[in-house]
Amino acid sequence: MVQPASEPIIRCSGLSIGYVDGIGATTRVVDHVSFLLEPGHSIGIVGESGSGKSTLARALLGYLRGGGRFLGGQLEIDGVEVTSAATASIRALRGLRVAMVPQNPLASLTYHIPVGRQVEEVLRARRGLLRLEAEQRTVALFSEMGLPDPEIIGRRFAHQLSGGQRQRVVIAAALACDPALLVLDEPTTALDKTTEAQVLELVQRLRSQRGTALVLVTHDLNVVADTCERVIVMKDGCIVEQGPVTTVFRRPSVDYTKTLLDASLDLTGDAPSANTLADVLVNAEKLSFSYGTGGWFKRPQRQARPTLDRVDLALGRGEVLGVIGESGSGKTTLGLILAGLLASDQGALALEGHSIAMVAGKRRPEMRRRIQMVFQDPLSSLNPRQTVLAAVMRPLRLFFGLNRNAAREKAASLLSDLGLGPEYLDRYPRQLSGGQQQRVAIARAFAAEPDVLICDEITSALDASVAGQVLEELNAMRRRHGTSVILITHDLAVIWRMASRVMVLKDGIVIEAGSTGDVFAAPKDPYTAALLSSATRVKRLNEEPTPSSLINEIAHVA
Amino acid sequence: MLIAALRRVLLSVITLVMLAVFIFIATEIMPGDALDVSLSADEIAMIPPERLAKMKQDLGLDRPAHERLLAFLNGAITLDFGKTLISKTPVSAIIGYPLRNSLILAGAVLLIAIPLALAIGIAAAFWKGRAVDHLVSTGSIIGYSIPEFVIGTILVMLFAVAWPIFPATITASTRDPALTLLASSPLAVATVLIGSIAYLARLLRTGMVDALASDFVERLRLTGIPEWRIVFLHALPAAVVPSLTALALYAASLVSGIVVVELVFAYPGLGQELVRGVTRREVHVVQAIALCSAAVVVALNLLADLAILMLDPRTRRA
Amino acid sequence: MRLFIQRLFRRPLTMLGLLLVAIHFGIALAAPWLTPHDPLKLLDAPLEQPTGVYWLGTDELGRDFFSRLLLGGQISIVAAACAGLIAAFGGGIIGLATAYHRGLFDDVVSRFVEMKLSIPSILLVSLFVTGFGQSLAVLIGVMGLIYMMGVIRTARAQGILIMEQGYVKAAKLRGESASAIILREMLPNIADLLTVEFALRTSSALLLVSALSFLGLGVSPPTPDWGSMIQSGLQSIRSEPWLILAPALCISTLVIGINFATEGVADLLGLEAARGATGQ
Repeated sequence: MVQPASEPIIRCSGLSIGYVDGIGATTRVVDHVSFLLEPGHSIGIVGESGSGKSTLARALLGYLRGGGRFLGGQLEIDGVEVTSAATASIRALRGLRVAMVPQNPLASLTYHIPVGRQVEEVLRARRGLLRLEAEQRTVALFSEMGLPDPEIIGRRFAHQLSGGQRQRVVIAAALACDPALLVLDEPTTALDKTTEAQVLELVQRLRSQRGTALVLVTHDLNVVADTCERVIVMKDGCIVEQGPVTTVFRRPSVDYTKTLLDASLDLTGDAPSANTLADVLVNAEKLSFSYGTGGWFKRPQRQARPTLDRVDLALGRGEVLGVIGESGSGKTTLGLILAGLLASDQGALALEGHSIAMVAGKRRPEMRRRIQMVFQDPLSSLNPRQTVLAAVMRPLRLFFGLNRNAAREKAASLLSDLGLGPEYLDRYPRQLSGGQQQRVAIARAFAAEPDVLICDEITSALDASVAGQVLEELNAMRRRHGTSVILITHDLAVIWRMASRVMVLKDGIVIEAGSTGDVFAAPKDPYTAALLSSATRVKRLNEEPTPSSLINEIAHVA
Repeated sequence: MLIAALRRVLLSVITLVMLAVFIFIATEIMPGDALDVSLSADEIAMIPPERLAKMKQDLGLDRPAHERLLAFLNGAITLDFGKTLISKTPVSAIIGYPLRNSLILAGAVLLIAIPLALAIGIAAAFWKGRAVDHLVSTGSIIGYSIPEFVIGTILVMLFAVAWPIFPATITASTRDPALTLLASSPLAVATVLIGSIAYLARLLRTGMVDALASDFVERLRLTGIPEWRIVFLHALPAAVVPSLTALALYAASLVSGIVVVELVFAYPGLGQELVRGVTRREVHVVQAIALCSAAVVVALNLLADLAILMLDPRTRRA
Repeated sequence: MRLFIQRLFRRPLTMLGLLLVAIHFGIALAAPWLTPHDPLKLLDAPLEQPTGVYWLGTDELGRDFFSRLLLGGQISIVAAACAGLIAAFGGGIIGLATAYHRGLFDDVVSRFVEMKLSIPSILLVSLFVTGFGQSLAVLIGVMGLIYMMGVIRTARAQGILIMEQGYVKAAKLRGESASAIILREMLPNIADLLTVEFALRTSSALLLVSALSFLGLGVSPPTPDWGSMIQSGLQSIRSEPWLILAPALCISTLVIGINFATEGVADLLGLEAARGATGQ
């Protein structure tokens, strides 16, 4: 696997890339980046959105999106200086010497052409294979990727495949011409954790069998931990830290890397302790939901299984209940039903033992006040045409009949509890950062003085450092107001920090529930175990050095 | 796939029936009856009451509205739209040939406009932001901002008066064969073409710009697939699909344009009959023309829907 | 706002469009004071050549052509703008309401919109003119209705996106009424869109009115209107071509101006210029 030191496949020194906008102003998104990659080796590029990692990844194929310019430095790929090379010689690299697996496999496959034909096209256009050869080669590639029934799959369209299958097809297309370097851009973001593990395993296997060098771009440190030898941490276009994965993740030398690492799940501490459920505030039974049967004139939409299937839930007074689930698990639907924004197909909902209507509009105002919600996307949860003051004041005036001045005072005090000064009152949402927007949304929810607050992925759109602060402030607010919180998230670290009890949702069904400490220490369901295992890869590096990373470290030291 | 196609055919039929009902209501029920509409109040006052009643009976106006509606729908299916109020000629005889002639004009325009608009739209999108693109965008705005009758009149002034290479008005008569009609009306075709190309090219440019910005095009470029394959085999079908859904608007505006242009050039089509029908307040003629042109639009829409089914496999699951 | 104006100045075509619109509206407003002669009065022999007295000569009835030209846009502009206003406002509210309620109400409205969109506008107007008789009010009403259909579609599509936003969900959670949510939370967020729709529909309506006048179904004589002026100019196409060219230039520059301006402003507002405009 490790080849004798030869010419590096990537030689990047002082590389800067910027985008020029319509008026001619340049924004620098990659700033003096330098690194090397030897043939057959692997490197991970981690960073949050906006760190420039995707731009860098595309630059490795000599490709910049519209308006992109190389501003300086060198980037040599397989001996070709792509910052200055002619279009033809860059074209010659792509697909043949360096290939890319893009982020969203569904959108990255042409929807109107069968997937097999798309892989054949690569072989025919780039390798000059004849139709029959290309067909046979594609089938062989598909079976190498572990796709079932390769001939049949090849005749399907992208939308007819599962997420994991699509990702395998895209990898097959990238590897069709046996490139020396494979760039993967967020290869697992669109996949669930079980599939993610399988795809990462496939990537590992292909690398060891084919000796392809690997660049893996991701926001998820856990993905890098298992797959790569070295890691580059990027922030605002600069490399803040680089080195062997084990070294960087065990002994980060930069605060930013520490923040990123802190945001990932660390089971060494204690989860909030769970009391026995004596004082039940919300009780929900058999909540179920199936998406629409279309309208009168529309095609009836058949759905194989309900989005939410007979979910029971009990929330104690003052506690934080975590709901874990990946996209498509029905966790957001559950949140909307509890809030009264969707009506459950069956079952019952009770607050303090009194049954309440399923739809918010049919509840008494007092009941509506007592259940509030904070949404995922901070920008969209505030009306762009209303000031912060208008947003926070509305519930105060509606539920408590406060006059303008009193409401303004109260709004200011709510905001200051969340670390926002009175100067923010008259701003519009677009003038705030993501973290500030989410604080305003939290203030608006607390303005109603709710008993129950439903938080749906409230930190997933925020940077790790900001997310941590927002969660701290939420925790302080809920303690002060004695509010019970239902915390819906895909992030196990958030649950571990905040929730005393947890339920795991998969395909609309609760597959596991209990106190956070118990569930995380000894998951009963294999799915929960898979979630935990993928979330704790970074931390497991601290415990036992994996053989492969040890070898790599030695190889790099040598 | 077959079920999805049948579903669309059925929906078109429903739309057509609703259209027929709407057209009937719009003309017959709201403002008095057909006779009040065709004759002015003075004229009605002149006619003795018993003759008026007889006239109403002849025209079936004494029957209740829902019965007349059923009769109208029934007639529409058998292409029997009744007789004109004054000359008592069957409406279908009046509009038969003009309908054919208008369809010939529309067909000729579509046949030329679609390939040209495709070429222009693809070029503009491919060289987005360059001179070609600006030229196409600006040109197309100008193209559909000038009324058809102005374009037609100016073409006549240029190519029939100032430099007389084409006839100013159409010399062919209503029942001439298709080619004779077309040969005598190059300026009429050109007039409708200008607006059509402007509109379609812009539509296709937008579709193509979106398609070229899609993730699959980026993946293909990153794999080194030749640009012509990307543009024509991958992006083009994806660009045509959204344009097809906008075809309804275009088809309707095409019919409107043709009506006007027929008047400018005295082309023996539905437009002529329509204006004659409206000025003489021949309700049945106007109804029949409205229904026929709506049927053309609905049919074009159906074709577009079926083409989408062919091009986009995602729409096929029944 | 300042940035917006700065960007506006970088677009020569948009500026040209705004200038053309300003000139036309200025003339239409000031026309009664600008006209050198009574536009309705038969002053001289028909089809006089241009002179110092009659700057563009006289028309086929011997009326001062220049005065008629200045006034020829008034009625069309007013009618088109009224129709545009009805379309944008009504369509905006109905579109948002369908997006809010969905279900049967939405289905019925959507079907109706689709149906109306497949009747060519000239035919729809003809239908109503045959039914109600030829009057400006009927014309404005029918055009408003026709163009409302397209606006309902756009507003509905936008409304469905807005319904998914957190602030609408939060408002529902507070138990705000449907009309409060539509008017307070949703409408302000499509104000930009409706402004652009208003401009686009006005330009379409202008094209339609002038075509109708040309056909003799729109603004009725003797009121001057560019469409009918071109129609009567056809008689003297060989001898007095300016009787056609002048009104043709007026109507064309007005509509081009509106569309240039709208395109640029929509682009700056980040709206997708209503996807290939509206057709007629």
